[in-house]
Amino acid sequence: MNLPFVRLVLLVARRDYLRTVRRRGFLAGTLLLPASMVVLFTISSFVGFQSPGGVEGPLLVVNESAVPLQPDPAITPNVVMVSREDANAGLADESVSEYFLVPESWPEQPNIHLVVPPTTGSGSLDALTRQQGARAQVEGLLRVSLLRAAGLPDDSLTQALAPINLTSVTPAGEPVSEASVAAGFIVPYVFTLIFVLSIFITSGYLLQSVTEEKENRVVEILLSSIPALPLMAGKVLGLGAAGLTQVAIWTATAIVAIPLVNQQFSVDISVSPVTLALAMLFFCLGYLSYGAIFAAVGSLAPGAREAQQYSSFFGFFAVIPLVATPLFLNDPASPIVAALALLPLTAPAAALELLAIPGSSPLLIGASLVSQLVFMAIAIIAAGRIFRATLLLYGAQPGVRRIVGALTGRA
Amino acid sequence: MPRIDYADSVSLTGQQAIEGGVAAPVPPVVVDGIWKRFGATDIVTDLAFDVRPGEILGFLGPNGAGKTTTMRMILDIIRPDRGSISVFGKPPGVEHQGRTGYLPEERGLYRDVPAVDTLAYFGALRGLPLGEARSRARGLLTEVGLGDSIGKKAGELSRGMHQKAQLVATIINDPDLLIVDEPFQGLDPVNATMLKSLLVAQRDRGVAVVMSTHDMEDAQVLCDRILLIDKGRRLLYGTVADIRRAFSDGAVEVVGKNLPIDATALQSVTHAKTYDGSVRYLLRDGASARDLFRELGESQADVERFAVEAPNLAEIFIRTVAGDQRAKAVA
Repeated sequence: MNLPFVRLVLLVARRDYLRTVRRRGFLAGTLLLPASMVVLFTISSFVGFQSPGGVEGPLLVVNESAVPLQPDPAITPNVVMVSREDANAGLADESVSEYFLVPESWPEQPNIHLVVPPTTGSGSLDALTRQQGARAQVEGLLRVSLLRAAGLPDDSLTQALAPINLTSVTPAGEPVSEASVAAGFIVPYVFTLIFVLSIFITSGYLLQSVTEEKENRVVEILLSSIPALPLMAGKVLGLGAAGLTQVAIWTATAIVAIPLVNQQFSVDISVSPVTLALAMLFFCLGYLSYGAIFAAVGSLAPGAREAQQYSSFFGFFAVIPLVATPLFLNDPASPIVAALALLPLTAPAAALELLAIPGSSPLLIGASLVSQLVFMAIAIIAAGRIFRATLLLYGAQPGVRRIVGALTGRA
Repeated sequence: MPRIDYADSVSLTGQQAIEGGVAAPVPPVVVDGIWKRFGATDIVTDLAFDVRPGEILGFLGPNGAGKTTTMRMILDIIRPDRGSISVFGKPPGVEHQGRTGYLPEERGLYRDVPAVDTLAYFGALRGLPLGEARSRARGLLTEVGLGDSIGKKAGELSRGMHQKAQLVATIINDPDLLIVDEPFQGLDPVNATMLKSLLVAQRDRGVAVVMSTHDMEDAQVLCDRILLIDKGRRLLYGTVADIRRAFSDGAVEVVGKNLPIDATALQSVTHAKTYDGSVRYLLRDGASARDLFRELGESQADVERFAVEAPNLAEIFIRTVAGDQRAKAVA
């Protein structure tokens, strides 16, 4: 009748896995990322299609000042000078939506008016974008006209006022888009954030499971049916599998989404399969370490609220590498980065961040892996002992002596 | 500290002892001088007893006496600091967990899961194939009157239904050892009677039952033997009849004809007094009820009823915990 250890572990794991993945919260949390990506791309595609990408069509300008205004095809390609009567007639018959009025007081007073129909509201994003483009051209028109009136030759005028074209290149001279420069910072951050988030969400399942079984008193029946170690191991395995399911869905979403992101935002984001595999490994190690800690916290805490409070203390350590992302990017060889990669509680996030930053030291990543393996083993053994010794203290907080007794195997 | 009856005949390593060439059965539970301390408090002190097959051992004691701690040690949920426990001839461990059933005082089910699923899970943990565990859970739930509620989530069950489902969880694996903590607490008389029958049926099929209860009437009616502890120490241990006899004050009530009412006519008594057609005799020190019965037989008395007056377990409990010296005779 007695089941071997492995079968007991699998039995608990299967049950906790199925119970977790069938929960509405899990389904919502897991599908939120893919759904968000779909919404983001839908919106961005729509905006990208509709966006004027600057100024299209004529920009009507009425000049009532004493300075003659003459559009320059290079600097003010859309500007068309009209009379005020024509502009107002265009507004009235809705053939134009707005015009710029340069009043008599200009240039003594710097005020220029944008004349719009009385019914126009605050305007859409589209209108705002157009206004920004139009403003640049009208400013160009006025400055060209002033400088021309001051006697500056047209060639110099064009050179003086032509906007600069700023491009990013690699040291080898290869072009890099601005979006790619931004992505260089964002990708490691988001990559680490997603995996650290997954570690904490999954460890949170474990914390929730332990505190729930403690609060509804099921745990005493469980502990009378199977030993504490396979019970904890089954929970860690089952809920870890639930977390991996979530990460796998998110990773699959990312694999599908990355080419679309590259295309949509003109960037070149890529995550190699080796990096992904290592990230999964660090996810497992991080989860096992934090999961063991959270299982111990769940068994030590008198209730779910206290368990959440205690676990957030450990969460603080995990996010330190995220806060230090600029340091990881600017100086991955810094001793602080090395320390964060080796200290057990910060190592999961630090190692994930190093993985996502090109040029990180493989030696440091390897050392972080060893550090996490050792810590994981210690954490699981210690948590198993605490789990066994303190799980049945309903509503009571075990003292330091009891915890030490549990850790040394005397409880 | 008196040792357990079986101590000389049972090997704690699980081997059956040989008495006169016949293998003596190993008691399902042998607890031998265990101690447990939490912080600075001794919860269990040098406690020894055994539980035999086909008996209900009433495990009594005031709140905080150490009963739950002792039961958890038998179940290997926690370990004693000193002493030894043998379950089915071996130290408690994973081997025996498939042969035990436990109904803790602090009990519960997963509220958002159908009770039958939880019971099947518990059965599977104790070694049943999942399908068989589910089938047994359905059968037992029907047997205890919960056939219409099989698909209901535990959170939808009433307290009484909840408790019956809990007992099903305890016996789903046909255990050889049952440990139940306050099994009838909060039940109405109908359901309590049903569950008592269930427990007695388990005893009758040879299961060793340890029942912790504060209901002395239940203990007196259901239990074969009693173990009373306080502050972790054993105060009473023996059959219900022996314990009640020890506290009987030596009084015997006799109904019949021609009963001698002069105490000097009988060597075994010091006083005799009539009450509503019966005579109450007070036994002399060293004399037994058997001596009185024999003397009455030798006289012209026609005895219709002969009863040793004994206090009920509730009185004995109170007296013992208060320090009655007579407890020492059955400790």
